[in-house]
Amino acid sequence: MNGFRYALRLLLRDWRAGELRLLALALVLAVTAITAVAWLADRVALATEGRAAELLGGDRALAASDPIPDHFAEQARELGLQAARTVRFPSVVLTEERTSLTAVRAVDPGYPLRGALQVGDDPDGPRQETDDIPARGELWVEPRLLIQLDIGLGDQLELGAEVFTVSRVLFLEPSAGGGFQNLAPRVMMNLEDLAATGLVQQGSRVTYELLVAGDAGAVGQWQNQVRPELGETISLEAPGEGQPAVQQVMDAAKRFLGLSALLTVVVGGVAMLLTIRHYAARHLDRVAVMRCLGATERQIAVMLTWKMVLLGLFTAVAGSALGYGVHLLMLGLLADLLPSLPPPSVRPALVGVFSAQVILLGFALPTILRLRRVPPLRVLRRDLGDNLFRGWGVYPVALAAIFLLMWWQAGELVLALYVFLAVLGTLAVLALGAGVIILLLRRTRKTRGAVSLLLSGIARRPWTNTIQIMALGLGLMALLLLSVVRQDLLATWQDRVPPDAANYFLINIQPEEAGPLGELLADQGLDTQVYPMVRGRLVGINEHRVRPSDYPEARTQRLVAREFNLSWVDELPQDNRLVAGDWWNGDGESEPQFSMELEIAERLGVDVGDTLHFEAGGERYSARITSLREVQWDSFNVNFFVVSPPGLLDDAPATFITSFYLPPERQDLLVRLVREFPSVTLIDVNSILDTVRNIMEQGTRVVELMALLTLLSGLVVLLAALQVTREERQFESALLRSLGGRRQLIRRLATTEFVLLGGAAGLLAGVGAAVAGYVMANALFELDYAFNPWLVLIGVISGAVVVTLAGLLATRRLYRVSPMRLLKGAEEG
Amino acid sequence: MTAVNGNSVLLTENLGMVFHGPNGDIRLFQDLNLRIESGETVAILGASGSGKSTLLGLLAGLDVPSEGRIVMGGTDITALSEDERAMLRGRQLGFVFQAFHLLSGLTALENVMLPLELAGDKTAEPRSRKALEQVGLADRTGHYPQQLSGGEQQRVAIARAFVTEPSLLLADEPTGNLDRATGHKVQDLLFELNQAHGTTLVLVTHDPELAARCQRVLTLDNGQLVAA
Repeated sequence: MNGFRYALRLLLRDWRAGELRLLALALVLAVTAITAVAWLADRVALATEGRAAELLGGDRALAASDPIPDHFAEQARELGLQAARTVRFPSVVLTEERTSLTAVRAVDPGYPLRGALQVGDDPDGPRQETDDIPARGELWVEPRLLIQLDIGLGDQLELGAEVFTVSRVLFLEPSAGGGFQNLAPRVMMNLEDLAATGLVQQGSRVTYELLVAGDAGAVGQWQNQVRPELGETISLEAPGEGQPAVQQVMDAAKRFLGLSALLTVVVGGVAMLLTIRHYAARHLDRVAVMRCLGATERQIAVMLTWKMVLLGLFTAVAGSALGYGVHLLMLGLLADLLPSLPPPSVRPALVGVFSAQVILLGFALPTILRLRRVPPLRVLRRDLGDNLFRGWGVYPVALAAIFLLMWWQAGELVLALYVFLAVLGTLAVLALGAGVIILLLRRTRKTRGAVSLLLSGIARRPWTNTIQIMALGLGLMALLLLSVVRQDLLATWQDRVPPDAANYFLINIQPEEAGPLGELLADQGLDTQVYPMVRGRLVGINEHRVRPSDYPEARTQRLVAREFNLSWVDELPQDNRLVAGDWWNGDGESEPQFSMELEIAERLGVDVGDTLHFEAGGERYSARITSLREVQWDSFNVNFFVVSPPGLLDDAPATFITSFYLPPERQDLLVRLVREFPSVTLIDVNSILDTVRNIMEQGTRVVELMALLTLLSGLVVLLAALQVTREERQFESALLRSLGGRRQLIRRLATTEFVLLGGAAGLLAGVGAAVAGYVMANALFELDYAFNPWLVLIGVISGAVVVTLAGLLATRRLYRVSPMRLLKGAEEG
Repeated sequence: MTAVNGNSVLLTENLGMVFHGPNGDIRLFQDLNLRIESGETVAILGASGSGKSTLLGLLAGLDVPSEGRIVMGGTDITALSEDERAMLRGRQLGFVFQAFHLLSGLTALENVMLPLELAGDKTAEPRSRKALEQVGLADRTGHYPQQLSGGEQQRVAIARAFVTEPSLLLADEPTGNLDRATGHKVQDLLFELNQAHGTTLVLVTHDPELAARCQRVLTLDNGQLVAA
């Protein structure tokens, strides 16, 4: 027998008969969710992976916070390599009325050595690649800066002490910086103009880079030559290492989205488990006839397996196509955050095919394959084989399939295990809650005669109703968490920030500017203090040298690799609280000592009594920790991880820093500040917060899309449960009508059932989201988040509305036909 | 497998069938012996619940007896596995059921081809077309079961039963679901084809008129077969 051909024929027949629709729908939604994430991740990965060298801007790069000695570039040229220098720093640009913090990059001709810049003459116009760099006196800027400052090409921009003409729109710059600079709009200038701006001075927050590219052998030789001379202040970067932070965020986002897509699979899986048994039961006769006509178990198994494989292929094609569409929606939502992406590959479609097969293999095949054991005698005795699908054997396979997919999406076993248990735990709690609600409804039914009939639907199908409430509840809960709870948390956090919290920071203030600037601010009635700031590298704790690799955590590694901001103060700042040790005397004659922020101390594993060694400007500064402080960071005041009493750091190269609150109507002061102190960098906290909020909102909208797919899956569970109980419902409705019940009564019964179902799911979702929000707020974000009672109400109402509409729509035909036909229909099954 | 002498197509030896019920065992029949010769037509009559269908299921190898053995075409089918019996059914048996049992997803032609394809016959299609022609449904090959009348469906089932040229044809109330006139036509067709192919026919019915058309009529009564 050609099992494939029979499988195809019978599959098409099942499709025409409508028997496969819900199974296919659940599967298509699952594949849609998985492939949407896969398309998105694939394109972002293609944009980064294959172009690692382009992202770095060269084959190797040296980076340092001080100018890189020229002989490194000379060595490269001697070996026949190209070399280019760049300088990166944050700075404010000015028009007549407006200011904006930007990420500036000053470049040499030849930049970038790998990849190309994309520029244009109109923010909405075509892009073209170029080998040029901005001419002297010109700036190239990102489109969004033009919008922010309301300027066009040809307009003037002040940067530091110079005035530049904006000459081109910079669409794409291959190498992106890290940190918050990434958030600010980019500005590119000619390196020759840099000195005239006066922006770069000793101690400024600047990154100097030397890019090198050319023959691989020569690059290797150069690397070997320069490596011993680099010391600790110059780092060597190879392609792929350039943006560890960005890469980590991308990976985390991909994993998170991938795992949230699997919620749709879990809920869809419930729908599949519900329908597949029903579907298989309808095929008992067919398989019995085939067995009777001589089909062996193997032939039946091959045919059934082919059928599932084909179903998987068809749904994978549909799901991948829909997933492609959803990924386009996501790209639309993320447009501001993503670089221009390469065209998609077909890999995500293969991911769709693979996952569809795994899902079917886990959720459908074990049940379907039981059909091969149908006793052929069923052709004569219809009751045989009815109990073929009893038992719990199919569930472990389904769980294994889900776990496999989670493992694959998470990329690591432990995380997969956590997520798996969390999802199962949530489902179990939801199921428990649903069970309790059903039980209570059944009780009510017994005690109140009048509502007995109205509650009968819920009470008679406790098992399927529990499953429906659970699945719908999960989808609704995800949506509520992402919409209401997220807004609540954000609002709670914003409430905690005092209204007069500093909204501007000034950094890179030179020592000679500190006094006049402080006076200017004081003259303007701003209550603020200017703090010294020394950038020092932590090189030792007690007798040990400190290396990033000493610490297992990536965050601590980065902390140690970076330079610390050190300062000196007399008095304990207002928003600091001493938690260990003693503060020094405020008489300015203290011993050399350090006071450290508590969390950082814990992270580094140091305590009062330990000695820290810092290196700044080539000198070493050592002192004992005499106290630990708790800092309230969201006061937005200037604070430091490590401070000393005056005296210890006096000779170290320092810049100054300050923060203040400036009401919106006094923005003109900013223009004056930047003009009078051009090398000072102004950081607008509001605009950074706006950007962060913007990113969060765009990100959550993408996740909301995933949650919507989960909710749709929940509705498929509802439809699946309706299909499974269809015969029962038809029979009941026919019976009620033949006993004189009017159609209206039957419709009211159904409506009550759906309102109760949806309301119960919404209730659980609301409570679940509130509890999850509470836990997140208190455990994760340390916010005092109050339980939001509206959540429950929103949950109940939205659940009831959605489920009632979907339910009535799905059952409308059931109550229209005559009782006679219904009774016949019930017999035919 | 045991070879048995003679021309008998089907032979039962001391057949017994016991069901385990909640109130103890129920013995449907005991020491039942039957020999059906090649080309014979045999009707088995019996009241509802007498075990006719169970006997037919045993004779077809769809079930195994509690005691005794059944030999089909020289092969002891009680010693075979379910899959081996399935293959034997495919080669040697034809079935006609009261409920037709056509597969709704397949056309008339495909339904007839099914047993041939299960057995890996490469000439399934021409043979099936011919079989449909013989039952007068040459113009209905592309129709699906639900597009055919009851009588037509049963004729497709008969074509499916004869297409493998089985040595033994088993029929379970073949006219039970048809009106009288259609039932007659189907009966005629069944016996015509039976004669043309020289097939042995065993049918189970409670219709004495149909039974009377067979050479031998047996009644299942109290667990024993007795000649009517």
